[in-house]
Formats: sequence, structure tokens, C-alpha cells
Amino acid sequence: MNYFAESLSSAFKLIISFDPDIYQVAFTSVLISITAAIIAASLAIPAGVTMALNSFRGKAFIQHILNTLMAMPTVVIGLLLYGLFSRLGPLGHWGILYTPTAIIIAEAILIFPIMMNLAITAVRSADPRLVPTLVSLGAKPTAMIVHVIRTTRLAMLAALITGFGRAIGEVGAAMMLGGNIEGFTRTMTTAIALETSKGEFELGLALGILLLLIAFALNFILSWLNPNND
Amino acid sequence: MTNAYQLTAIKLRYKQQLALDIPELNIPSGKSIALLGENGAGKSSLLKLLAFTIKAEQGAVTLFGQTITPPINAVQRQKIGFVEQHPYLLPGSVESNLKLALKLQGVPTEKHGQFIHYALEQTQTTHLAQKDSNSLSGGELKRVAIARAIVYQPDILLLDEPFSHLDQRHLKLLEELILTISQQENKTIIFSSHDRLQGIAIADETINLVSGKMTESPLLNLFHGQLKQQRFETGKISIHTTSSQIDTQHIAIDPHQIIISNEPLQSSMCNSFIGRITLIAEESATIRLTVDCGEPFHAIISPESLSRLSLSLGKTVYLSFKATAVSLF
Repeated sequence: MNYFAESLSSAFKLIISFDPDIYQVAFTSVLISITAAIIAASLAIPAGVTMALNSFRGKAFIQHILNTLMAMPTVVIGLLLYGLFSRLGPLGHWGILYTPTAIIIAEAILIFPIMMNLAITAVRSADPRLVPTLVSLGAKPTAMIVHVIRTTRLAMLAALITGFGRAIGEVGAAMMLGGNIEGFTRTMTTAIALETSKGEFELGLALGILLLLIAFALNFILSWLNPNND
Repeated sequence: MTNAYQLTAIKLRYKQQLALDIPELNIPSGKSIALLGENGAGKSSLLKLLAFTIKAEQGAVTLFGQTITPPINAVQRQKIGFVEQHPYLLPGSVESNLKLALKLQGVPTEKHGQFIHYALEQTQTTHLAQKDSNSLSGGELKRVAIARAIVYQPDILLLDEPFSHLDQRHLKLLEELILTISQQENKTIIFSSHDRLQGIAIADETINLVSGKMTESPLLNLFHGQLKQQRFETGKISIHTTSSQIDTQHIAIDPHQIIISNEPLQSSMCNSFIGRITLIAEESATIRLTVDCGEPFHAIISPESLSRLSLSLGKTVYLSFKATAVSLF
């Protein structure tokens, strides 16, 4: 108990003293996750809206695939991308293995189905008169997508934040593709795993607390965005 | 006179159920047309079809002589303004909703101010321009939705049940608006209403729908029942007809063909009933009477007849009409 209390106290000291190592890792983590979330959102949200607005053959199958991908283990994504990006892999000549770019790609792929599903749900939950109104006002397909996104923007922002939350807490793919290189690809989750295994429990705990604070902040923003909340 | 719409051999189904079955319908341009019928008669479906927001599984629709194959193009879309029964305004101000309509219709930005001013003035909603769309009352919302539909100055205005759930003041305003748009601006206005007398009073022409099919009858004094040897039995009263068509399930009697008198009439009219007046209402310079003769009958008389016959609520009167005034379908 003493060990845990002392470690906790040391962890808070590291955070309060703005320990550069901790904040460097936190900064890298946030930057990678924000980039991944923005890239995924810019593709998943229009794709989700398009899918929700249109009926086509194979729609149910795509929905099924999306649901399956939402539950895909992160290490599997890491493994597949490792195979692609490794020196002998088909995309080895890109030279992005063990770079933040590889982690960003992995995290974007990981959160894409989550965001797309949330975008589909957002359109389905929107006022059923929205789309017929836009049709009768003469909205062309692109304008339709833009205005549906604009009208459901809070739900879309919630999808973005949920995706970011999932990305920043991801460890498997970040470890396999980033290689946990200090000051370059070391994220909060990979650092926690490494530092704890090295016995640097305080450092791991400090990063864990920061990660929790980010999660709390995200939840707070989500609740604040939800107009149904009192 | 050119036709705004021509419909040929239209069939529309919802989940195997026939919603519309219209062999032929010509809607002249520059007139106000009332689509009349009970709930579920197909009024909304016909309006959506005319707005090209739904597609018939069979048949052809022409718009000002051009056969339309959905999706319609931007030029054709700009000819039609459509207001649904429960209109939806996008989040934001009233003005931003009108601007959006102009933007989607491709109206040049420099004309936005002038067009918005026109639409708000026509619908008497200028004072609501900066108001948030969520804070409008039911009547205000309907007028703003009409403003949004006319802002790009379409040739045709389609209104689905514009008078439903409105108080007297907003109802009057809307009636005036429809008359102004159709008479002064020579636009085609097609509106649906389940209040047949109101439709007849405002519109130049009426289209009557029963179970998705058109009928010549004005659908007033509509009764359900069975025909037995030229007599239609409603279950409460028996009405003489001139037909012995066995599959008849509905009849309607034109309210203008009903004669009201204080004494029984000595005439060839074979339908004569005695009843009590239950409603007297003024309707665009005519008087609408409801007389309970076992079944409620609606009659339209002149204000002179009202005073000559000294009619009042609860008074017992005689109601007569010819067998030929009965439409069967």
C-alpha cells in the first residue's frame, strides 16, 4: 500500500513539475491521435452519411462488415500493417515503419468503422423531414451530404471525439508499428507498458493519470455537447 | 390554357397497397386547385408525386409539357415550391433558411436580398427574419415554410394540408396568402385539405380523392353503406339514387344541390328529410349549414336565404335533394 501511495505521490509530482519527458510523450500521443481522428473523420463521416442516405445492393453486407471491423483487435490491424510496411512487405519502400505516420495510419483504420457507424446512426436519428426537405429545395448529392453533416454536426463532433478517445487509448498497433522510440513514436500507452516493465512505476502512473484526465475531459465535452443532458 | 401537370396511367403502391390509381389528370396552370379527400385518400402521395420527391411505379408525369424522368433537373426543380404538412426548418434563423433555399436553387447571391424581402413580405413574416426557427409558433412556422418555398419564385406552389392545426388568425392569413399568390401572381397553387368546404371556397377547381382514386363528386356529404335496388342504406337513413350498381360503397351529395326549407317541399325531389341545424358558419361570402337528419348533411346557402328562412341553431328544417344529385362510387 505504501509503495502504491508513494508512487502515486511521485506521479503527481512529475505532472505538477511539468516533467519534460512525460509531456513530450503526452504531446506525441495527442498529436498522433488528433491527426488520425481528423483523417478518419474526413473519410468516415461523408462515407457514413452517403451510406445512410442511399439504398443500394450490398448495403446490409457493408453494414455487417463495419460492425465486424468495430470489434477487430488492434493487434490484428498492427500485424497486417506491419506485414505491409516492413522492409520486405509490398509497401516497405515507403519507409514508414517505426514512424508516427505508421501509427496514424493504423489508428485511422482502427477508428474509421467506429466513426462511420456513428455517422450512419447520426443521420438515422436526425429529423426524418430533413432529407425530404433538402430534396424538395433542390439539394444536389454533394450539397445534400454537406447540409446533412452541418445539421447533425453535434453528433458528428461526438463521433470525432469518440474516435480520438479510442485512438489515444490504443496500445497494440502503436507498439508494433511505432516501435516505442523515445521522443519520436513513444505514445502514452506504449510508454506506460514500457516504464512499468522497467520498474518505473511512478512514470507509468503519471502517464496513466494524464491519460485518465484526457478521457475525463473528452467525456465532459461529449456530455456538454449533448443537448439532451441537463 | 397550358397544363402545369399531365398525369397518365399513374399507379403508386406502398407495401403492396395501392396508394394512387389515376388514369388521367390534367392540372391547368395559373389556377388554384384544392385536393380534397379524407385522411389516407392519397392527397399527400399525389402532392409528393407532383413535387417529384417520390416516384410512381407506373405512368408518366409531364411538367409544363415536358415528360419528367426522376431525378428532375435543377431547372425543373426551380419551377416547384413544396411545403409538407409538417414543414421542417433547418436550425438557424428564418432568413438563413430562405438563403439556403436560394443557394440550393442556384439563385445568384446579389439577388438574395431582393428575393428574401419579397417572400417575407408576401407571407407577412418580415418581423420574423432574425428569429430562430426553433422558436416559431405553428402558424408562424407554416408561413415561414411557405416563404421558403416561394423565395426562389417557382411557377407552382404545392401545399400539403396548409390549414391544419392553425388558429383562426393564422388560418385567415394563409387563406389570403393563397388567394394573393394565385390571383395576383398567376401561379399554380395546389393544396390539400380534408375540409372540403374550405377547399371549395378558396380554390378555382377541386380534385377529389377516395382511396387513391379520383372521383367527380365533391366528397361532401360522403356516406358509407350499401346500395339495395337504387336505395343507398347508410345504416341510419335510406337515400334514393338513380343507379343500381351493386359494388357501390360510397355516395356523396353536392351541398349546392340541397334545398333547405321550413316546410316540406311539394316537388319531384324524392329525397326529403327533417332535421335540426347543428352548425351555421360563414365561409367566403356563403353560409355553411350542418343539419342532423340521422346523418349529418352539409348544405351551402346564401346569406339572403339564411335571413329569409330565419335559420338559427337548433331549428328544425326540411332538407331536400334529387336522386340525380347523389354521386355513387
